[in-house]
Amino acid sequence: MTIKARTLTQKDSGRVTDRAFWFLCVGAGTIVLVVLAAILVSTIRQSWPAISDTGSNGFFSSKLWDPNTGKFGTLAFMFGTVVVSLLAVVLAVPVSIGIALFLTELAHRRVKGFVVTLIDLLASVPSVVFGLWGIFVFAPAMSPVYKWLHNTFGDIPVVGKLFGDVSPLNFMTAGIILAIMIVPIITSITREVFDTVPEADKQAAWALGATRWEMIRGAVLPHSFGGIVGAVMLGLGRAMGETVAVALVIGASIQVTPNLLAPGYSIPAAIVNLFGESTGTFTAALVGMGVVLFIVTVIVNFLAQIVVRRAEIRMKGATA
Amino acid sequence: MSTIQGAATPAQRVPLSGSLRRGTLPMRRRLVDIASRVLMVVALLIAVVPLFLVIYYVARHGAKLLSAQFLTADIVSPRRSGGGMGPAVVGTLLITGIASLLAIPLGVLGAIYLNEYGRKNALARLIRVMSDVMTGVPSIVMALFIYIAIVLVTKEKTGFAAALALAALMLPVVLRSSEEMLKLVPDELRQASAALGARRWKTTVSVVLPAAISGITSGIMLAIARAAGETTPIVVCAGVATTISWDINAQQTALPAQIFVNAQQPFLPAQDRAWGAALTLMIIVLVFTILARLISSRFAIKNR
Amino acid sequence: MNRNVLSRRGFANLSAGVAIAAVAAIALAGCAKDEPKNTTSNAPGISSLSGELKGSGASFPDAYYQEIIAELKTKAPNLKITYNPVGSGTGKKEFAGGLNDFAGTDSTVKDADNVPAGSYLYVPTVAAPITVSYNLKGVSNLQLSASTLAKIFQRTVKTWNDPAIAADNPGVTLPATAITVAHRSDASGTTSNFTKFLVAAAGPDWTLASGDTVNWPTDTVGGAKNTGVATLVKQTDGTIGYVDLADAKAAGLVFASIKNKAGKFIAPTLDGAQAALAGAEVKDDLTYNPLNAAGDTAYPITAPTYFLVKPHYDSPEKAKLVKEFVKYVLTDGASLAAEVNFATLPDSIKTKALAQLDKVS
Repeated sequence: MTIKARTLTQKDSGRVTDRAFWFLCVGAGTIVLVVLAAILVSTIRQSWPAISDTGSNGFFSSKLWDPNTGKFGTLAFMFGTVVVSLLAVVLAVPVSIGIALFLTELAHRRVKGFVVTLIDLLASVPSVVFGLWGIFVFAPAMSPVYKWLHNTFGDIPVVGKLFGDVSPLNFMTAGIILAIMIVPIITSITREVFDTVPEADKQAAWALGATRWEMIRGAVLPHSFGGIVGAVMLGLGRAMGETVAVALVIGASIQVTPNLLAPGYSIPAAIVNLFGESTGTFTAALVGMGVVLFIVTVIVNFLAQIVVRRAEIRMKGATA
Repeated sequence: MSTIQGAATPAQRVPLSGSLRRGTLPMRRRLVDIASRVLMVVALLIAVVPLFLVIYYVARHGAKLLSAQFLTADIVSPRRSGGGMGPAVVGTLLITGIASLLAIPLGVLGAIYLNEYGRKNALARLIRVMSDVMTGVPSIVMALFIYIAIVLVTKEKTGFAAALALAALMLPVVLRSSEEMLKLVPDELRQASAALGARRWKTTVSVVLPAAISGITSGIMLAIARAAGETTPIVVCAGVATTISWDINAQQTALPAQIFVNAQQPFLPAQDRAWGAALTLMIIVLVFTILARLISSRFAIKNR
Repeated sequence: MNRNVLSRRGFANLSAGVAIAAVAAIALAGCAKDEPKNTTSNAPGISSLSGELKGSGASFPDAYYQEIIAELKTKAPNLKITYNPVGSGTGKKEFAGGLNDFAGTDSTVKDADNVPAGSYLYVPTVAAPITVSYNLKGVSNLQLSASTLAKIFQRTVKTWNDPAIAADNPGVTLPATAITVAHRSDASGTTSNFTKFLVAAAGPDWTLASGDTVNWPTDTVGGAKNTGVATLVKQTDGTIGYVDLADAKAAGLVFASIKNKAGKFIAPTLDGAQAALAGAEVKDDLTYNPLNAAGDTAYPITAPTYFLVKPHYDSPEKAKLVKEFVKYVLTDGASLAAEVNFATLPDSIKTKALAQLDKVS
């Protein structure tokens, strides 16, 4: 690389350019802070009429959602968001850990690159395409499976409540599709965490005669626990905010029920579906739900970052 | 037995239990090990099979509709067959393009601040944390924010509002990935440039940026691919369009929004068009993603 | 120095490419601002008109209005019309809020809609049967009476082989499938007309009253717009719901024959609708009620649909556009109605509608 010395020579006007450039960069960086603050302020202001109208207790704890009479109880939506996200995390975490272990411990160098590309491709599929596939291909295909679940487990005293009357678009379908969508993010963070396990610990396990699985259990997993927790929380945050795929397959039914095979609703799905026909207080109520979602996902993400960073620092030292 | 003065004991010789072959392991431990391997591969399959299924079905159902006419024709009522996704294709290109033009310079400049100027100071640390938080903001919240801040104020839905929302979603991604790429540039380059008498900004623009450009480009392309697939900003802020319009200040539609709307229709022609639009979108996204990977792998700065 | 570090030339190439793309995008976005001029020529007829018309409201007649709009794209290329099927309730709200130039509604204006009296005129446009569509494997000729319908939609009858349904269908073997009831989740004129029929025909059996929204039992499913209900019916075996004829046919649904006032089971057809319209009494404000009409061949759940127009528009050009468009819908466009499964108005109502339209200024 040739750099002509003359073009880099210092000129006095360079001082001004330097300063200007610095300002430009600082400004660009602080826009992030400005936007975040603006989101918080404007959404809370916009949604205030709905929250105060219904009484802040009613807004969060009431199941009754009837825009035509001004009733905005969002409990059903919050319930649905929590159910679907937890379902997704429960399904995705074992799969992600398995893939991460495969990539760090088991895979050949060439296989590794191929698999990483596949996982990246999975991450790049737009949510709406997952939803389209879900509603036309996956849900109908899963119907017989759900019927079997209902028939086999539906009568067991407590657990049976989870497998009640079947509807093709339900919490379970949404949970499974969400799980597929959050696997890449949990996998990638978990992989980074596994990569930081000191080689010495692993060698020590081998030296003591451990099998590969015993080495993983003894050296890799204990070290990585904090990082895995962080990765799971990031996945949870992502699952809660996921809108379109859930909106298409969750069945759009406002109810609170333990039946996983019943249709339901989630906060982002409700916002995107009902927004078009909403006016006035109705819109404010939807924005209010958005505020709740925003605050919760920000907190979850924030905590997740802290957990992951702390785990990283413990592994790599303070230069992480 | 050690003496009290702490003289080292000769290592106790543990008699080897036969050979070191795996076959001497007890059956249970071997089975558990094999089972764990199988489970890891199964986990991989569970994640990868849906990917192939999605691609297969999108290709199968969408291919029969894909044609030059489909990509340029106007949008018709969901009950009729024919028509196409022309306005949506134009909308996707336009909205994603404007969003990129807004987000990329801000993101790269911000990353330059974080890595070249701010480093570890309080502001830089705050920006990093907040930017990570911002990547986690659900797209629906961003769309609502722009709706409140822009659409309600100007009293009309436009493609530009949607582009703003997309830019806000892209910004933290571009920021953080560019910062990572700038970090990889060896300090020796900066020091050499300073030694030759160059100002900070000159060093950054003429030396550091070109060195990191392939990684930054790859990060940008991934951000664009993600933005092209976002549905909620379009649905909430951009309105509805049935004819092709290159006017960013008019109502626009885009491929993800059309897929979303058509997927909920009971009419077969509309559902078919949803698959066609999905195939178009997937092609765009895949092309960008694969290009990004190629750029980063062929031209990347090798880790020292 | 590492060969892998890109030279300045690579950067220059990239920035040139980005700059070109940027300029192209800005150029394309900035130009082609096709603002339609709000001028109208002196030549009569709709083909010479130019301007923009925004309508929204009922999804019931959407199939017909979209057909008209598509037709007008070729006939009147400078006229930009959009009709957004958001549901009668939202359409009326938007009309009151000045967000549209005309509203489509299947239900009359009530106090709750907040549309001030005197700010609107009804113009009836078309009518069509509301089908009771169902998805039941092995059954294709279902007959239902009003009281059975009432019981199904109130969830007192929960399975398809219930004796009440069997009584309406002698000789038909009905499966034991559970009934899933689909209704509208948004404020809908179709709901209003459907429940109005149940109030009139099922008497004491129907307890949920009528209106744009109804307190449906909790174990039912809701869909947005007529197309949403059609989707729900199509999806699951055992579902029943009310959908306009055009959407039900386009979605490939099967519909039941309903017992009319004369005691005959009539299928939802345009002939049945015309028979119901024939005897309908028109009020002074031009609303009329063909539901539960007398006559042997009348289909009992025939629903009217109207445009809401302002008696006075702020700009005379806008008034002219509205008048010409609605006139087209009532006259030349009416030939399209039968194709898309809508019944045109009998001449008596049509003349009254055109006279009403003349009042718009």
